[in-house]
Amino acid sequence: MIRKAFRHAIGFLGSAKLAAWLLGFVGVWSMVATFVAQGDVSDPAVATWVSANPLFEPIVQPLGLHQAFTAPLFIVCAVVLGVSTALCAWRRTKVAVRKARTLRAASEPGGSLLGRHDFELTCGAGIGPDEILPAASDTLRRLGVKTRLRDGRLIAVSSPWSVWGSPVFHWALVALIAVFLVSALQRSEGIMGVAVGETKVDAPASYGVLQVGPLHSWGAQPRSIRVDAFEPDYSTGGVERGPTPTVSVLDSSGRVLKTQRVYPNMPLEIGSLTIHPSEYGLAVTLAALTAADVETSRFVALVDFAPSAPDGTAPVRPFQISDSTGTSRLTGVVTVPLDRVDGGFALPQERKAHVVLSSPDGSPAIDSSVSQGDIVTLPWGDRLKVASVGYYVRLSVVDDWSIPALYAALALAFIGLTATLVSRQQIVVVSVAEGPDGPRLVARLHLSRNAATNRSEIEGALTQVLGPDKQRSTL
Amino acid sequence: MTIEIVLMWVALTCYVAATALFVFGLTFSRPPLVRAAVIASAVGLVPQIVALGVRWIRVGHGPYLGYYEVANVLTLFTVVLFVIAALRSPRLSAAGIAIMPVGVLLLGGAMLAPKAGLPITASLASYWLFIHVAFACVAFGVFVASFGLAVVFVIRERSKSGKWARRLEQLPAQDVVENLTSRFVLAGFLFWGIMIASGAIWANQAWGRYWGWDPIETWSLIVWLVYAFYLHLRFTLGWRGQRLAWYAIIAMPIALFSLVGIPVVFNSIHGAYIAGPQG
Repeated sequence: MIRKAFRHAIGFLGSAKLAAWLLGFVGVWSMVATFVAQGDVSDPAVATWVSANPLFEPIVQPLGLHQAFTAPLFIVCAVVLGVSTALCAWRRTKVAVRKARTLRAASEPGGSLLGRHDFELTCGAGIGPDEILPAASDTLRRLGVKTRLRDGRLIAVSSPWSVWGSPVFHWALVALIAVFLVSALQRSEGIMGVAVGETKVDAPASYGVLQVGPLHSWGAQPRSIRVDAFEPDYSTGGVERGPTPTVSVLDSSGRVLKTQRVYPNMPLEIGSLTIHPSEYGLAVTLAALTAADVETSRFVALVDFAPSAPDGTAPVRPFQISDSTGTSRLTGVVTVPLDRVDGGFALPQERKAHVVLSSPDGSPAIDSSVSQGDIVTLPWGDRLKVASVGYYVRLSVVDDWSIPALYAALALAFIGLTATLVSRQQIVVVSVAEGPDGPRLVARLHLSRNAATNRSEIEGALTQVLGPDKQRSTL
Repeated sequence: MTIEIVLMWVALTCYVAATALFVFGLTFSRPPLVRAAVIASAVGLVPQIVALGVRWIRVGHGPYLGYYEVANVLTLFTVVLFVIAALRSPRLSAAGIAIMPVGVLLLGGAMLAPKAGLPITASLASYWLFIHVAFACVAFGVFVASFGLAVVFVIRERSKSGKWARRLEQLPAQDVVENLTSRFVLAGFLFWGIMIASGAIWANQAWGRYWGWDPIETWSLIVWLVYAFYLHLRFTLGWRGQRLAWYAIIAMPIALFSLVGIPVVFNSIHGAYIAGPQG
């Protein structure tokens, strides 16, 4: 009973109709999704779309079309399509094995074609048996079928390898889907803000935004990422590459593994790690000093460009300042005031940090513009120094081993498709047999894929050249 | 008017003449006019290639950016593939009656579009751009060829043994035309797939992700699925005849829309290739 149900399920999942329906569904779903704003319900673009299309929202929302490509319905269909592809690949493999065997057998010498032939033609009176095969060979060549003479037969049989294109393509698609699914479980992808000169460990705490698969391993000895330099307008090869940091990857002992400038089309790649520049902003390095000017700690406050803010910049996040006992005393934010130029902003010659510190109750404690190297005194006597004002870079860091495997699966898929496209699958074997009315042409004609002609054309042409109406003189 | 634009108008005139010759040649059953139409198509390629070469030197990059360049190079590949097919197998020339109007419309649209050269930006500066665009163009040209064959198949099928069946009698047998259509679709499917894959590899190099469900990426996948559906209908579900040909006819405009329509309709990270960096 269970076996029967299993067989039914396999039969259903492997059916050509289901595969076609699923392909259609994924196509139509994707088409519809491009017309619907994609994102979380809190996304302003989604809210705008909802208010502009109130009629469609009752359908779009329950179907999950705002997050169309992670919606359960889409994922279920994609997974079933993957299973269907695997079953289809298995079925095609079995067919290919059978076809390859037939092709191998057809090209083997010996044995009579009689009884296994598809076409038989009594040749015209006066056409000698030795004239039939050369005439048939010429006729077939005109139709695009090149034959060779072997053991008294004309043979044009495809190589047994010619049948493997479609199975290879389908198995490669299965591999692609499998690698993609495994990679989704192991991949990590995040944005890391690193100031110039700063080094950050490749660990979750270093990322501002992070998406990580449940099976991702951070490793016992994590690597570190350092930004060595930053050029806001880097050009090379006659092309402006835009804001370009020089990034180093270090091993756990601090040894540099790789250093390079990173810009679009020039990522830093090392092992499974790929680093791209995403955005950039300003970084204010602050040093906490005791009343006796002994530095106790140093931290970096990141600042983004914000044209709508009064200073032209806005803090990425607030920071806490503690006293010598470790008690958090103040909350601070830092911006970098920019010069106003032609209705926009520009970096000033002398960089200053606008430091705003507040008590836990929200009352302002310090609101001061501090030049690089200057110090502000905190209410309890400690001091805060603006050590430097420079750039920071948001790096897009992806750790994914599967990318070369995905490319390999794609390459294999295209090799399979190319084989399907260019290889013929044909069995054309022609021989001569003696019959009561004279010599007869006997042929096996199987032309299944990419043949230059078809069976009826071959039969018609052979009949025209060698048929009963034809006499020797016309050959 | 620059020499480039003059040459482009000459090319367009040749393609319009070729289209007219196909229409008259087939309508009035005059095979010499059909042969002249193929020659006019081939002649039109010369000024178009020279004009694109002149532009390449002037703007410093190949015809990849902006509607003018994209539609132009799509037309070029469509006509080149058709001319090669028609010269290799003159019996297929009649398909030009459906193929050349596509070229005329595309190049006509290009001539009305802004023609300023767009700069190569940091994310476009990659050899993958050439590979990606080349395969997109070849795939499109092959899809248009399958469209043309499907159109003549349907015309002849609907005519049965009527006038149009006689006018198109120089074409190979219907089952050969049908097989050729499927083969062109398979070739287009392969080239379109390579275009998607090369785009994914390039996106990973340029932006750090190989797939992002951007409208252009999604529509390129949709086109691939549309043709995958065709191949399933043909080879696993055994569809034949008019309904399969109609499917090939409807599929080609979807491919065209994904190449030149999507960047206009949707905001896309890829939009710069049609609308320019500001678009």
